[in-house]
Amino acid sequence: MKSIATIILNRNLPEVTDKLYEHLAKYDGAETDIYVLEAGSDKDKLSKYCTWHANSDEIINQGLRYSRGMNYALLQLYKEKKWKQYEGFFLITNDTEFSNSKTLKPLVEILQEHKKIGILSPCSSRWGEKLLLQKEDTKYFWFIHNNALLLRRAFIESIMETEKADYLNFIFDGTNFRGYFSESELIAKAYSNNWAAAITSKVFAEENESYLLKKADLIKTESYDENIRLYLQEGLVWLKRKYGFNSRWSMQQYVKSFYDNFFNYNPELKKYKI
Amino acid sequence: MIKKKINNYFSKRNCTLLGVGPMSVNCVDSVIELANEYNAPIILIASRRQIESEQFNGGYVNNWTTSQFANYVRNKDKGKNIILARDHGGPWQNNNEIEQKMSLDQAMKSAKNSFKSDIDAGFNVLHIDPSIDINGSVPKNKLIDRLFELYEYCWDYAKKSNKEIAFEVGTEEQSGSTNTPDDLNETLYLIEKFCKKNKIPFPTFVVIQTGTKVMETRNIGSFDSPLRVENEIAAEIQVPKMIEICKNFNVLMKEHNTDYLSDDSLMWHPRLGIHAANVAPEFGVAETVAFLQILENNNLCSLALKFIELSYNSKKWHKWMLPNSKASVREKAIISGHYIFSTPECVELKKEASLNLKKNGIDLDARLCEQIKKSIFRYMYNFRLTEIA
Repeated sequence: MKSIATIILNRNLPEVTDKLYEHLAKYDGAETDIYVLEAGSDKDKLSKYCTWHANSDEIINQGLRYSRGMNYALLQLYKEKKWKQYEGFFLITNDTEFSNSKTLKPLVEILQEHKKIGILSPCSSRWGEKLLLQKEDTKYFWFIHNNALLLRRAFIESIMETEKADYLNFIFDGTNFRGYFSESELIAKAYSNNWAAAITSKVFAEENESYLLKKADLIKTESYDENIRLYLQEGLVWLKRKYGFNSRWSMQQYVKSFYDNFFNYNPELKKYKI
Repeated sequence: MIKKKINNYFSKRNCTLLGVGPMSVNCVDSVIELANEYNAPIILIASRRQIESEQFNGGYVNNWTTSQFANYVRNKDKGKNIILARDHGGPWQNNNEIEQKMSLDQAMKSAKNSFKSDIDAGFNVLHIDPSIDINGSVPKNKLIDRLFELYEYCWDYAKKSNKEIAFEVGTEEQSGSTNTPDDLNETLYLIEKFCKKNKIPFPTFVVIQTGTKVMETRNIGSFDSPLRVENEIAAEIQVPKMIEICKNFNVLMKEHNTDYLSDDSLMWHPRLGIHAANVAPEFGVAETVAFLQILENNNLCSLALKFIELSYNSKKWHKWMLPNSKASVREKAIISGHYIFSTPECVELKKEASLNLKKNGIDLDARLCEQIKKSIFRYMYNFRLTEIA
């Protein structure tokens, strides 16, 4: 029985997605089922491993992005009654790259060892955080910015929308379209529900930004710079509307207060505090 | 005494102390006026290139020697609000020591002489920074040994001279990367051990890399960047973590290279618990920009062009440029303007400008100070050194 469902988010880059799918199937096929969500891709640009094709007019026009896309796919698994068969969900975008070795086995082992981890992120060779993971390879953080996250099912069940669930609200807040602060909000929800968010250097995942830089027209998104501008601008508007926060530092302090409190209730886990 | 003064101030208000580089006479005057107007302590942080003892022929700021500078400030600072500090004292922190290719022994001796003048002149805070070595990178244990040698020397000399001094430690200036919590813990632990053993006071300030880095006229570090900066620990993690360690060691956290940060970032400094922050080139640039504008708005364009030429030819802008910079000649001249204020050519040029402007009823230095003060006040307000906007 495979304990993990991996969800790959694709928009019009079938070769990249197929390559990622095949990589995971080769190295992690024993641990995971792999699902591909096409976020408004053109009919002729679907991955050969496509599981679901979200193709409403709105989605074809603007795509889904990470938050809405992952909500959509997770909700599909829930509706298709496949939910309970997995212990965790590995959420990745198609520009994620892994080394030629097992990715999920070490991650699953960490979840088994650390019963309180709700969110687990591989490290990246381009992050300074790797310096904090030299003596111990897994530590609990209050800030993670990544597009490759393994979420424990039990954690998701403690925060998910069950009454009127849709792709805007199932786990992530889809009204924050481009997702600035999405991870922070998710981490705050984790710690406030007595779950931890960790980064591990046992596994590395890299984001290949060249697709966004060079193939923005194919993905049917704005140019890289414009996308960044909108990501920040819309994120700050969302932050103010939802929380009344005017700064990223407000969000940082908000999440960290839950983080610090988590260790007051779980003093035996202080060794994993950064 | 100085530590007590600072702690007393912190006990009254949650703020971030401001360290200002003495970029020019006008900049020094502006700092003194603001500190006294708002009865707020401001630290004047003089690098060895800016202000240096007589035996090194002074620094580039008004050609002041250490004692001349200290006397000038003390005489004007009626409210005793200015804290005089040496910024980056240590071997090879002065151009002479580099140009003469001094050996380690010579450079250490030279640095000690410079510190001696600081103590004699009544400086309150000495930043000991042995991180520069013209022979290449030095292992951490060697740097720590150099730090301890200078620390002990300064403390002994101050005690003999009956002077009170506080210390600032910390290295890796403008390295562009963040030091790790483990590094900081280890360094502070070693310093604590050294201080206890030698019965020397623990440093008052420690310089922490918070993700600030100045290039051209921008801060390109991670502190002000909502996006990840490659190979740096995210500022959201780095800053609170470092503050936590400083609290554990009961040492005040000082940020360097704070120039050009946004108001939002500055406003968060006191709230995050950053005790002090240094700003320098931004104020020099503010004065140069104002100087050029005044000249150009008053039909003195030929003098403006001459200033640009002098400043550009000084090449002092060089170290501030980003790789593949597209900065114009004018922009480069603005970056290096304050380095040439005290050269004979610029003094002459400014004299001519002042005379011409006087005819139009304009007091050049007063106008320049106005702009510098505006620039400094942005920090004072955001750091909660004053609540009057």
